[in-house]
Amino acid sequence: MCSGLRTLWHGGGVVTEEPADQHPNVRRARFAALARDELVEPLRRFLLRRTDPETADDVLSETLLVCWRRYDELPEQALPWAYGVARHVLANAQRSTRRQQRVAARVASVDPPREVPDEAGPRDDVVLDALARLGDDDAELLRLWAWEQLGPAEIATVLAVTPNAVSLRLQRARARLGDEVGKIEGGAGHEQSEGGRTG
Amino acid sequence: MNDDQLRARLRDADPAGSLPPAGPDRVSHLLEDAMGHDTDTESRQTGTRGRSRLTWLVAAAAVVLIVGGVAYALLREPTTTLPLEEEQASRPEALALTLPDQAAAGRCMTPTPAALGRAEVAFDGEVASIADGTVVLRPTQFYAGGPSDRVEVAQASRSRQDLILGVRFEEGRRYLVAANGGDVMVCGFSGGYDEERADLYAEAFAA
Repeated sequence: MCSGLRTLWHGGGVVTEEPADQHPNVRRARFAALARDELVEPLRRFLLRRTDPETADDVLSETLLVCWRRYDELPEQALPWAYGVARHVLANAQRSTRRQQRVAARVASVDPPREVPDEAGPRDDVVLDALARLGDDDAELLRLWAWEQLGPAEIATVLAVTPNAVSLRLQRARARLGDEVGKIEGGAGHEQSEGGRTG
Repeated sequence: MNDDQLRARLRDADPAGSLPPAGPDRVSHLLEDAMGHDTDTESRQTGTRGRSRLTWLVAAAAVVLIVGGVAYALLREPTTTLPLEEEQASRPEALALTLPDQAAAGRCMTPTPAALGRAEVAFDGEVASIADGTVVLRPTQFYAGGPSDRVEVAQASRSRQDLILGVRFEEGRRYLVAANGGDVMVCGFSGGYDEERADLYAEAFAA
């Protein structure tokens, strides 16, 4: 169904050869198709893995808006680039949320972030606990690696660093995660009690 | 635990692992919102915010037919190159189409050659005149339907002209236009002549 469009998209040399005077309707239709086929769902998941559903919704809208405005800059592999945009937008949103929370100054207790509606299967809480014990950078690398299933070059695009750096850091992060999992599982007893984890 | 095992365990713990995909309506709304805020194309400075929700979803919509018959003119001879002015008097029946003016009824589909290939009418032509909301085009080539030496498109009111995925007709410019059921296909199917669109048309009607 979309093969024709993909042909145009890739075969047209994508952005670099597309003149500014390209008909706006064509641009719009192409962006819509690209977003629909390749961006929206992965971005949505990306965000739901990292924030509450309401924030994820807002950030997703904003991210798509940015992608559309910067359509001419979209690389052929648009998704990692779009993840990078989403990260920034999310960071901004979280910054401003923190600011608002400071201003609101505890008039009421802040709603805890809702869990992603995913009660379908048993989750591996040990590995999540272990992930939570890592530094933010390590954890994010591992999430991009395991959940978004990106390779080092793609992760490098998301984080705006070099692929080499990603490979090295990823290696270390994996080792640390393995250690933490080992500690939790090896530590036995109280650490593993899963009854205590109620959203 | 090796890397693969570690990755597998992380995957099992993916909070979005069993999340169902967003519904098509949700996706469409997201795209409307994103693209409705556009500022770099068209003349959309005023009053567009309230309209964006509708406008993006341009498709077949409220139809006002003008000037008589539509269908009978469409299915005569196959593709030809048309003579111009001389014959106009002897073939008064213009092909009448309507440019949909509301977006409520549907949503855009990707302009693929396959989808375009189903158009009942498709032609390459220049806008000869625009008057009273009617655009008169002089077709030079029909890919489908026709032929006719004159196509009239009942244009939506001026305020609707900048529909995001609609078509803005300007006098003297060349267009590729496709139509189904008397409605001009918007959403990128019809629009100003350019190489991309010409390729799309060529591919759609290649056989």
